[in-house]
Amino acid sequence: MRDPGFMVQDQAQEMAPDTRARDVEVQLTRAGLGLARRLGDGAGGLLFDRLLRILEARHPRAFTALGELPDARLLIDPVDAPAALLLRVGPTLALRVCDRTAEAEATVRGPCARLLDLLEGRIDGDALFFRRELSIEGDTALILALRNTLDGEEMDLFGDVAAAAGPLRHALPVARRNAGRALDLLAAARRFAPPPVRWGMAVLERRLIGPRQGA
Amino acid sequence: MGSFELICPAGNPAALRAAVDAGADAVYLGFRDETNARNFPGLNFSRPELAEAIAYAHARSVQVFVAINTYPQAGNLAPWQRAVDDAARLKADAVILADLGLLAYAAEHHPDLRLHLSVQASAANAEAIRLYRDAFGVRRVVLPRVLTVPEIARLNAEVDVETEVFVFGGLCPMAEGRCSLSSYATGLSPNKQGVCSPASHVRYEPRGDALASRLGGFTINVFGAGEPAGYPTLCKGRFVPGGGTSADPAYLFEEPTSLNALALLPELKAAKVCALKIEGRQRGKAYIAAVVGAYRRALDAFERGLPVPALDLEAMVEGGAQTTGAYTRAWR
Repeated sequence: MRDPGFMVQDQAQEMAPDTRARDVEVQLTRAGLGLARRLGDGAGGLLFDRLLRILEARHPRAFTALGELPDARLLIDPVDAPAALLLRVGPTLALRVCDRTAEAEATVRGPCARLLDLLEGRIDGDALFFRRELSIEGDTALILALRNTLDGEEMDLFGDVAAAAGPLRHALPVARRNAGRALDLLAAARRFAPPPVRWGMAVLERRLIGPRQGA
Repeated sequence: MGSFELICPAGNPAALRAAVDAGADAVYLGFRDETNARNFPGLNFSRPELAEAIAYAHARSVQVFVAINTYPQAGNLAPWQRAVDDAARLKADAVILADLGLLAYAAEHHPDLRLHLSVQASAANAEAIRLYRDAFGVRRVVLPRVLTVPEIARLNAEVDVETEVFVFGGLCPMAEGRCSLSSYATGLSPNKQGVCSPASHVRYEPRGDALASRLGGFTINVFGAGEPAGYPTLCKGRFVPGGGTSADPAYLFEEPTSLNALALLPELKAAKVCALKIEGRQRGKAYIAAVVGAYRRALDAFERGLPVPALDLEAMVEGGAQTTGAYTRAWR
């Protein structure tokens, strides 16, 4: 898998559908974070527990390694999303949505799309750091251990979740292939919709995803 | 002389698969302990992982070299000797060693195991290389990154041992005791514990739009807003000479720049270099796939006499800058 930041032009053309699918996945991730923040630690916590169990079943080696780390909290901050994530590693592994000022032993900050790329090994973390797209603070060893552990996996966040959801696993490749067309249709619907519907869609989007940083 | 061998790094099993699939001729890796020079958290191979890695690589006609290239400490030889024994038992194609005692151990206990001399040994002249060959049967020497191409050509004319040179990635010259800078700042040694600038001693601090990197309590660089960042290594730190305060901080040893010797393929071929090595066992599998794939395409074109395609790897490299390093200028 090549780093999307380094594609030559013809490769960029070939990768266009994949990039559009990633756009949808980023929006879904941001919406998921916004939703989890609204649900709070109760229902939101149950969702993240379920997500961790799904990923653990598919990547046992990585989860064993994360469980062997010293007990510590790692703040993962997608700077263009409505909330951050607090990952607790060590014997009591847990994942929760949190405020981006939450206390942690280490922090990783970057755009949501780049963090997803990093999670799935689509991009090299050092290259992101060199380009200042990724910033880290606190316990560097903890961040490095997490990065190296995840990079050792063939992780596909949406594929893993879809596989656990049974019939969805057949739908995901189709959805990814058609992501570009779906986005175009949505954009067209938004353009041609009467103003009240457009405003309603915008409000719904803001409620789901939250305000974008810098927007 | 045949084609160049392309020797590629792997920090974990996924990176090994990426390197093999992208066109490596051989992959080098290390065990998950202090016996190799990239002993970082979450990196390297357990014994079962090495067995799987060798099976995967051999099924695709790719060799696996095991780097056991730190220096054993007095009274604690067992981890290093066990690493050599396990590499031999698991059918690694070669071990990459630096320590004289360990070379002697490997030669005595595993006479069929192919021995490569690590860059860590800093063998940079014909007499040293002949000694390693005669005493231990070393078959290949990884040359330190301090020689010009004409010096490599003269060296190869004088010895009948294969030579391997780094062509891409970090410019870590072990020469002149630079690794000791990291030992001084952190109390942990790159050459004994395998940790240059150990992550446990590294801190990054935002200072407005700038980014400060600290190692063992020393601020070693401050990158301005938008300036490409580098690794937190002292030999690429920025300092004010003489402890003054008026001068601008400057890179006194090396700049955060990466080696890329792609333009020198004809000269390296004429110098009778056998193998080209890509650095970066600490890098992610995306780096491995991109760099190995690019070099594979370049080498294939070169071997066929076709124009070598330009590589757009600038954003992958430290500091966003590339150099041909010592290959085209005398070592300072």
